[in-house]
Amino acid sequence: MRVDGTDNNLMAQVWAGQVGKLALLFERHHRSLFRYFVSMNRNRELSEDLVQDVFFRMLRYRTSYDPKQSFTAWMYQIARNTSLDQAQKRRGEVIDIEEFGERRPELASSAPGPEESAAKLQDLGLLRRALDLLPPEKREILVLTRFQEMKYDDIAEILGCEVGTVKVRVYRAMRALEQIYFTLAGEKAS
Amino acid sequence: MTCDEAKPLMFESWSHSLGEAQELAFEAHLASCETCRVEAERLGGLWNRLGLVAVEEPSANLRSRFHETLAAYRHGLESAPRRSLREKILSFWPKQPAWQMGVSFALLVIGLGVGYAMHPEKRESPASPELAQLRGEISSMRQMVALSLMQEQSASERLRGVSWAYRVPSTDTEVLSALLTTVNQDPNVNVRLAAVDALHGFGSSPVMRSAVMQAIGKQPTPLVQIALVDLLVDLKEKEAAPELRALANDSSADAGVRQHASQALEKLQ
Repeated sequence: MRVDGTDNNLMAQVWAGQVGKLALLFERHHRSLFRYFVSMNRNRELSEDLVQDVFFRMLRYRTSYDPKQSFTAWMYQIARNTSLDQAQKRRGEVIDIEEFGERRPELASSAPGPEESAAKLQDLGLLRRALDLLPPEKREILVLTRFQEMKYDDIAEILGCEVGTVKVRVYRAMRALEQIYFTLAGEKAS
Repeated sequence: MTCDEAKPLMFESWSHSLGEAQELAFEAHLASCETCRVEAERLGGLWNRLGLVAVEEPSANLRSRFHETLAAYRHGLESAPRRSLREKILSFWPKQPAWQMGVSFALLVIGLGVGYAMHPEKRESPASPELAQLRGEISSMRQMVALSLMQEQSASERLRGVSWAYRVPSTDTEVLSALLTTVNQDPNVNVRLAAVDALHGFGSSPVMRSAVMQAIGKQPTPLVQIALVDLLVDLKEKEAAPELRALANDSSADAGVRQHASQALEKLQ
């Protein structure tokens, strides 16, 4: 994660009309945004569309940005809203079974290889599957803390809660992940 | 340090983001509590493996799409200032005769107002009937523009109508009624969201508060539901607790909305 002050300065320049500066913010953040979306929805194509949409909204609604606010928190608030809008649009759509398969590449993968590598791959596949089976709010907090390595202060601002609440939610999410993981591992062993 | 205090700290400890005093207290607790130590080892292993889950990278296509969009946006911005002053003025002039009449009338009223302002010796007291009449005419003109625009076919025109609602007095029940109809029935999400924002200006109206409480359950869009919940929190509307509780417990509602309703309940208590 970059120093947020620099991001804030760049966004302040975008706000003032130097929209070309958004390209620098894109270079810094598009990968982490993509990982956030793809970890939440397991759909690469949709996630790229969502990243594109987030940066477009940042341009369009740039005057709503408050330089005193954390840029990262503001960006992820836009990301969550974008994701919410998309989920609303897709609600009711029938999910194509082939598309569903594409969303879970680790599960589909059973490529043979050295024994140890295969076991490790299977274990991570199981963990990925357990993560996918978590309720969205629990999955999101683990994605933000573990994958995005975001500060608890920023997460609290994004989720609109206290830092203490974030800590407790991370713990509960990890406990829930552990339970699902061991259930899946037990099913696989039996 | 108790077990309940120690458990949420383990993840910060692994990422080395605990303060020195907390780190020491946490370590001391683990040394004295076997249950927490075993749990920390178990969850620690899972936490480390979670960091090994494959990181996915976006395709190169994403970057090129972004730059295309940015270039198009910049082109739009840069070409806008090239318009002449005449074109700029004309762009504000409405094309429909009815609107041209409305704007002409507005300019006349503004001219009269400026005339009054430029002759202080003849300026009447604020309570004078002429000034009250002038204010009334301006107010009714604003109301007319707001109500007419909110019934337009085009969403952008309806958005303009909603923005005019900010210029009418908070006692204007006709505009309030039109805003509530927009919140409940407008097909465009952005227009509905703008109408919810505009309702903030009518916060003193009990009718508005009651209508907003009823609208939450009927609203199909989570974003608008969240905006309505925020409006009730801003207005400190404690009577909304039953509706918010019902929303928070509604398993068919969006998870984000339910969470937002729960947080709103906490804020209102």
